[in-house]
Amino acid sequence: MALLVDKHRPRTLDTLTYHPDLSDRLRSLAASGDFPHLLIYGPSGAGKKTRITATLRALYGPGVEKIKIDSRVFQTSSNRKLEFNIVSSNYHLEITPSDVGNYDRVVVQDLLKEVAQTQQVDLAAKQRFKVVVINEADHLTRDAQAALRRTMEKYSPNLRLILLANSTSNIIAPIRSRCLLVRVAAPTEEEIAVVLAKVGRKEGYKGCEPLEQRIAKESGRNLRRALLMFEAVHAQNDNVTEKTPIPPPDWEALIEVIAKEIIEERSPARILQARAKLYDLLTHCIPATTILKTLTFKLMPKIDDAIKAEIVKWSAFYEHRIRMGSKVIFHLEAFVAKFMRIYEGHLTGMDMDWDD
Amino acid sequence: MPSDIRSFFGGKPSSAPAETPKPTATKTKGRGRPRKIVEDDDDDDEVEEVKPAKKATPKKKQPEPEPTLEETTADDFFGKGSKPKRSEAVRPKTRSKPAAEETPKKAVNGKKAETETNGGRSSGRKKKDTSYVELDDDDFPDDDNDVMDADGAADNFKSDAKVGRRAGDDYKEGSDDDDDKPLVPKRAERSGKQKTLKDHDQDDFKPDTDIDMKDTNMDDDFLVPDDDEEIVEDKPAKKAPAKASKKRKSVALEEDEDEDDLEMDDVKPAAKKRAAPKKSKKEPVQDSAEIQAIFDSIPTIEPPPPPPKSGEEGEKPKFKFGGQHANSAAPVAAIDMSELPQGQDNCLAGLTFVFTGQMGRLGREQGQSLVKQYGGKVTTAPSKKTSYVVLGEDAGPKKLATIQQHSLKVINEEGLFELIKRLPANGGDSAAADKNAEKLAKEADNIRKAAEEMDKQERAQLAAAKPKPKPQASTNGQSANGQSTSQQSSKGKEAAAAAGPDTRLWTVRYAPTQLTQICGNKSQVDKLARWLRAFPKNQRTGFKMGGADGSGTHRAIIIHGPPGIGKTTAAHLVAKLEGYDIVESNASDTRSKKLVETGLKGVLSTTSLMGYFAADNSSVDASKKKLVLIMDEVDGMSAGDRGGVGALAAVCKKSQIPMILICNDRKLPKMKPFDYVTYDLPFRRPTTDMIRSRISTIAFREGLKIPPNVINALIEGSGADIRQVVNMISTAKIDSQTLSFEEGKDMSKAWEKHIVLKPWDMVAKILGGGLFNPAAHSTLNEKQELYFNDHEFAPLMLQENYLGTNPARTNKFNDNPRRKRLATLDLVSKAADSISDGDLVDRMIHGSQQQWGLMPTHAMFSFVRPASYIYGSLAGHGQTRFTAWLGKNSSQSKMVRIVKEIQGHMRLRVSADRHEVRQTYLPLLFERLVRALEREGKEAVPEIIALMDSYFLTREDWEGILELGVGEAGMEGVKIESQAKATFTRLYNQQSHPLPFMKASQVLNPKRAPAKERPDLEEAQEESEEEAVDAAEAVADDDEDVDLSKDKYVKQPKKRKAAAAGGAKAGAASKKARKGKAKVGVDDEDDEGEGEEEVKPKAGAKGKGKGRAKK
Repeated sequence: MALLVDKHRPRTLDTLTYHPDLSDRLRSLAASGDFPHLLIYGPSGAGKKTRITATLRALYGPGVEKIKIDSRVFQTSSNRKLEFNIVSSNYHLEITPSDVGNYDRVVVQDLLKEVAQTQQVDLAAKQRFKVVVINEADHLTRDAQAALRRTMEKYSPNLRLILLANSTSNIIAPIRSRCLLVRVAAPTEEEIAVVLAKVGRKEGYKGCEPLEQRIAKESGRNLRRALLMFEAVHAQNDNVTEKTPIPPPDWEALIEVIAKEIIEERSPARILQARAKLYDLLTHCIPATTILKTLTFKLMPKIDDAIKAEIVKWSAFYEHRIRMGSKVIFHLEAFVAKFMRIYEGHLTGMDMDWDD
Repeated sequence: MPSDIRSFFGGKPSSAPAETPKPTATKTKGRGRPRKIVEDDDDDDEVEEVKPAKKATPKKKQPEPEPTLEETTADDFFGKGSKPKRSEAVRPKTRSKPAAEETPKKAVNGKKAETETNGGRSSGRKKKDTSYVELDDDDFPDDDNDVMDADGAADNFKSDAKVGRRAGDDYKEGSDDDDDKPLVPKRAERSGKQKTLKDHDQDDFKPDTDIDMKDTNMDDDFLVPDDDEEIVEDKPAKKAPAKASKKRKSVALEEDEDEDDLEMDDVKPAAKKRAAPKKSKKEPVQDSAEIQAIFDSIPTIEPPPPPPKSGEEGEKPKFKFGGQHANSAAPVAAIDMSELPQGQDNCLAGLTFVFTGQMGRLGREQGQSLVKQYGGKVTTAPSKKTSYVVLGEDAGPKKLATIQQHSLKVINEEGLFELIKRLPANGGDSAAADKNAEKLAKEADNIRKAAEEMDKQERAQLAAAKPKPKPQASTNGQSANGQSTSQQSSKGKEAAAAAGPDTRLWTVRYAPTQLTQICGNKSQVDKLARWLRAFPKNQRTGFKMGGADGSGTHRAIIIHGPPGIGKTTAAHLVAKLEGYDIVESNASDTRSKKLVETGLKGVLSTTSLMGYFAADNSSVDASKKKLVLIMDEVDGMSAGDRGGVGALAAVCKKSQIPMILICNDRKLPKMKPFDYVTYDLPFRRPTTDMIRSRISTIAFREGLKIPPNVINALIEGSGADIRQVVNMISTAKIDSQTLSFEEGKDMSKAWEKHIVLKPWDMVAKILGGGLFNPAAHSTLNEKQELYFNDHEFAPLMLQENYLGTNPARTNKFNDNPRRKRLATLDLVSKAADSISDGDLVDRMIHGSQQQWGLMPTHAMFSFVRPASYIYGSLAGHGQTRFTAWLGKNSSQSKMVRIVKEIQGHMRLRVSADRHEVRQTYLPLLFERLVRALEREGKEAVPEIIALMDSYFLTREDWEGILELGVGEAGMEGVKIESQAKATFTRLYNQQSHPLPFMKASQVLNPKRAPAKERPDLEEAQEESEEEAVDAAEAVADDDEDVDLSKDKYVKQPKKRKAAAAGGAKAGAASKKARKGKAKVGVDDEDDEGEGEEEVKPKAGAKGKGKGRAKK
């Protein structure tokens, strides 16, 4: 009894529900026998992985779905041992180098070369090459990406790479130029609603179109999220109506609280309270950028139009800093302080002039 | 006997207050008066009372003695004197006597002094009497000032003052030793016979001193102050109304006389002017007209009334913590060093200052340094003895109250500057300055005596070393010291030169040779001596009797204290004096467990041969059979001395010889083994005054001219580290003969031991320490230095605490709360921005770029600049918190690990990365796994387990999911019935569950025992193949049976067995087994998987075994 989102995942290119053009292209690529390196990018919950799995199935047949997890140990130059999980079938490997943080280069170098230097053993395989799927390619360090460059060309007879990324911005140009870029756009709300309705039918839920629309909207065009919310709503309510509340995820609820608090009172003490909550979110593995983004959006409805632009500007400013810096709490806190400063200044109608 | 002496001196302090008023009374002009004053000072000071008494006597000639008074004084005097006599008599034998005898013979000066003294004695007596009279009458308040002038002009150390030295030494010893003060006076009174004797003595000796002084400018010598402290205390006394009765006076007099007697008995030539007369000092001494005029002209200010103490409790905190307390005054432009007033040397002599509040222009430290530079004294808390309170903004309420209570004179910076500008050198002839001068004189006297004593000892040693060579021959040699400030010192040097240049370090050359020369820690040293003395007895009683101080049950004693205060010296000296032969072991020896055990074995149960044999015909000291083991630098036992501390502690428990352990820091965890097995003997830093006389003596002997305030600065700058101060003056001696205040300050600054601030202190200092106050004069560099105290913690601690201030910069908006709030937010935002900037720099330093050159930049952005915005009072925000970042960071990485684990397990089912898993799956899983259990209890258990199995989640993952909830879903918010949870656990453990894979690190080392037989690989392969296919099908078809089939393959017990099998195959290569791949049970196609594994060198651990392990 898996969750809906996994239970009803399409397994073939034919069963994919949206982006039919993309499905066609992938199908013809798989059939062409000249499969290129792929760089698939798009927001999460758009169906990237699902499409890759389907493509792989088109390439190799159902055998590719027999996957296993291996745990490999790599040794860094500093003799640190890294444990690294590899998901693999006979025909392909799936790795997430960002799991090992800054040591991803070691993994990329060792593992890819090792795979690339051996030919496909299974003579019955449809393709002569193996496929390596690299998850979170946009989190690869520069070093790891550089390590990929030559490997991609030199071992292309034995190896095809499929890079998965949320955005291509972090991927160096040489890699991009070696790949076929495939963008998987997030499904529209209508498309999500359609999927929800379909899944609901399969599960025997009573359909409620307005609710599905609402979920689609709430999900931020993230199909995974939409399906999980859909299931959550149905799990908590036997009878759903248009008005059924959609429970927000725990972390989002907490961010909402923070937003309310810093609007309520602007003072150093309040910043301290906000800091405690931000720490809470961070320790519970909510990425800082997500926090900042969500917080900004939660603040927006509560503030005057006049300062919205400035708040967004600063939000972007600190998001950049979060990426550039190392201790994210500093930047989150600076944003909170900045917000309070601007909001207070707006409320009191004065600006700070230190000279008088 | 030494203890007696101590007790004797101890008694004085109580009598002291009565005598204070004397100085005012003296009418006579000239030297006599100043001396009287000196006496007064002495009385006040417990330690150095003796000297002043001597000096004063000669001077008080003019007034006519009242017979009755005289008699009483004399009687008392003598009576008391008898006690001291005894004690001193004993001492001289052991230590100083020989030296004393030699001096007169050798030194030409000494002879002269003798003759002179003889002549003067009779007159001296008379003078004394007169002085008493004066005291009683209290008629001549103004005269003192005149006298002081003469004295003040002359206050240089002069080499001529040989006579004085002797006496000085004796006195010093006495004063140093004084432990039990109250006992002495009683004894003294009882002994009537000796009084008479002493009377005679006094008559003889005292006159001499008088004559000498007058003739030879001896006065000058005496002017050097003995104790700064005394000076301070005296002042207040003068101002205070005269309360002292005659009785008190007489007592005081007696005491003084007693001391005199002591001196005389020991060393005849050493007659000194003693302040026998003690006048009722309480009458305010009046300053001369000019000085008074100056004092009057100094603008005083009205101190703000202290805050009400009671009644308004509620408001009190406000007053304290609010803006007022912070630097609410708009800071005036900081003062420039060049604007500081230039005054005459020592013009503040004798005055005591208290600084309180924030000065507008002058930093507090700067002000204090200024006062010290001009010879004034700075105390931290006002008392009735305070001459001036320099008041700034926001003075503490407590201090204000004290000021009001004693109606002290309050001035501001301007007043202080005025004082400095207008007061004549050495404080002119003001009463305070007079007293000060007297003290200086006394001190100089003592110093000379001490130096003389040293010379004698040295010569004695020299003589002992080579009996044949004539010590006098050395006089022909050149004086080593070109300046030859004193004949004595040059003589000593000549003597030394004859023996070849003394190449010893000063710290060695001037190491104490007598207990009395140890600065401070008297009672501790005594304890040590007592313990050593009682050791044989305690040994006989089996260390059962604790004794008076409880030290008797210990075979070892541990001395601890900061460096340079004489711990080692004291231990050696005491051991030597108690007749022990010393075996020492210090950090230069390896002291590992083994070496301690074996090496000490030879020592612990032996006696010293020193008691049987001696080299070079020197007589055998039969008492030298006892051994003491001194373990120095015990806390230096480090990595190389593994187990040494423990072994040493064990030795301490059963040692048959006394052991003295020495360390700096007793509180270190590694010193724990010494708890209970050793007797703790903490040594403290001696006070400045204790050290100063010793340092002055050394400087004097070396012909180095260092004013007392410079020595003070050196001592304070080094943190009362005697050794360092000696080293410093030794260095100074190399290129100059004098050391000015500025030089001294520079020097102590250069030698400053860098004390690394704790993270808390750093933050408190930068945020609340007023470093940014314009008057603070702290440079940007100094603020940056703070950061480098601990560059890792500084930014973190600042970030943690920067919101906890009342920013001083908002104080100007105190009248407008809204504005103030905005200003606060503005500052906070700026500070936060700067911290954020700092983090970017930090990334460049610690990131891949490793640009460590940016550290100063980081210091500015992350530490100094934020503080520059929001510095201010830290009051009202609780304690400085420790940075939370570290803890949060580590719990974050723990959570990340959990999420990774969960995502790894779910991976076969779920395409999301770990962020997505956390943000989208976990809320739902939390609902379905945790909330369901909470809501429905054990009914939900089967469903929960089914869901978990479908995602390969383990029981640990369930805990992880529980832990990962945040906010509403936080762990605290979840209340699961213990029964439901127990059911869940039980049911979960009963069933077998699919394992997605096994992490390499989770594979246990196979036991060695397993069967040697190799498992049938063929069979295993087949089996696994089938299973794999099954599993694959199951996955592909979304078959609900998956669970079952998986259960079959991935049973826990099987796993272990399989692992064992794998181990067997690997030939007990357990480590390799770990490296080997752990396989998932699900889709394992063994043929290939295994083949692959075997190819890989790293996985060499027989992947097949592994593969099977999964099943």
